[in-house]
Amino acid sequence: MATVAERVKAVTARVLRVPPEDIRPEHSFTEDLGAESVQSIELVAMFEEEFGIEMDEDAALSVETVGAAVKFITNVCKEQGVDVEE
Amino acid sequence: MGKAKKSHPLADATRPNLLEDVFPHTLPPLIRLNGPIIERIDGKPVEFDVSDIKSRPIFISDTTFRDGQQSLPPYTIDQMVHIYDLLSRLGGPNGVVRQTEFFLYTKNDRATLDKCRELGHKYPECTGWIRAVKGDFRLVKEMGLKETGMLTSCSDYHVFQKLKFASRKACIDSYCEVVAAAFEAGVRPRCHLEDITRADIEGFVLPFIDRLMEMSEQVPEELSVKIRLCDTMGFGISYPGAQLPRSIPKLIYKLNRECGVPSDRLEWHGHNDFHKVHINGSTAWLYGCDVVNTTLFGFGERTGNPPLEGAIFEYIALKGDTCGIDTLVITELAEYMRSIGLPIPENYPFAGRGFNTTRAGIHAGGLRQDERIYNIFDTEKLLGRPPRVAITDKSGADGVAHWLNEFFGLKGEDRINKIKVHKLARWVIDQYDEEGRLTAISDKELEAKAREFYPEYWKKYRQA
Repeated sequence: MATVAERVKAVTARVLRVPPEDIRPEHSFTEDLGAESVQSIELVAMFEEEFGIEMDEDAALSVETVGAAVKFITNVCKEQGVDVEE
Repeated sequence: MGKAKKSHPLADATRPNLLEDVFPHTLPPLIRLNGPIIERIDGKPVEFDVSDIKSRPIFISDTTFRDGQQSLPPYTIDQMVHIYDLLSRLGGPNGVVRQTEFFLYTKNDRATLDKCRELGHKYPECTGWIRAVKGDFRLVKEMGLKETGMLTSCSDYHVFQKLKFASRKACIDSYCEVVAAAFEAGVRPRCHLEDITRADIEGFVLPFIDRLMEMSEQVPEELSVKIRLCDTMGFGISYPGAQLPRSIPKLIYKLNRECGVPSDRLEWHGHNDFHKVHINGSTAWLYGCDVVNTTLFGFGERTGNPPLEGAIFEYIALKGDTCGIDTLVITELAEYMRSIGLPIPENYPFAGRGFNTTRAGIHAGGLRQDERIYNIFDTEKLLGRPPRVAITDKSGADGVAHWLNEFFGLKGEDRINKIKVHKLARWVIDQYDEEGRLTAISDKELEAKAREFYPEYWKKYRQA
């Protein structure tokens, strides 16, 4: 099973149309990866779909970097009883 | 740059002060006046106690069927009767919309008046409108009206250039003959002082008013002359310091306090040629004129008259209470006007289809958090019109979410959040980025997409 970080990277690459190998944990979704307003929403929606979770809208949209997203999603998965590979 | 004269310490707070005593949201923003206003007249300071407006019996009168019709194709009898019925409901049992005036010249004019009166409404009272011709009182009398307006134009543009009187005295004599005829017929004359804002006030208007007041002393109170100050060309100025004849405060002062015309016999009639029509009407109220003459949606000669619905909200804002007014009727009237082919601009206050529609995504975001941020008052409660978001490339997910929630009628916890609207938001963006669209997206298109993307909501909230 792929790790949370790998799955976050794959979703990010697909939604933002960037090569997965170019994505680093410290990258900001908006400034480094060029996410526009609607793409930020799509990212959150796709993360929810990928992990089978529901995230708080404002909290999820305030996450800025890929690494922070990995941590945030890992925590939500734990809270909602979803098994993931860390 | 001047040196600061006073320091202003920050009143730090961790909770918002939304100034709800002035912005109650359930009513239009209230107008709080400190008063008195000081105006220099004839070299002396004169006080106007504007704070008495809450207790003064001010009213709105209507000329939708007279001046309002001069700029439009004529209404049918049935249309006028329906509008009259709605005007009555709008003004409520206290008669805030106190009077409306009718032409009396054609068979249709008279049939309309009869049918309106058959409805049995107390308000608006029906009055007439005639030329300053003695013979015309026959019409007023035959129709059993207690009051009629009559043209008594007062600028030299009218007295000499239009009406061709040999002198001002000849003009006043002629007008006064007609006023005497009105008294004889038992009809209260309402003298329409046309073009007063470019008349010789001291040399013509005040001597004429003095004569009218003298004549009024000879008749019972209910026949005494009313005065309508007609700003025929929209030249009136509202602010203190303006000179006669354009100064509304000074005009009202001269008639009210120098000539002694009581406030309840003074009425302001404006035109919008300089975009001042509404505020000029409100100014007349404040300075001592009890009645402001209006038309629905401002329809009227050339640029129009004070909009009745604007006066309604001004009235509520000044009084701090709806006073029996049914503001929802404004929306009904707007729909009716549109249905009979009278256009109301999209962005027209209170009645245009888009008056409370935002197109900016950032505003839609504000609306989503708290409607009060970008809605002037509770437009759903007062007008049956919740705030709306028009969808364009600038709407963002906030705008799309607002539209979708309003469409499904979802409130509070039931609202669809921004994350869940991503499919529709993506479709909207692609319309512009991928399809090269340049127009706003219609409700019909959005409805089709809402059905496609959110079938479970459609089933629950649209098919129920």
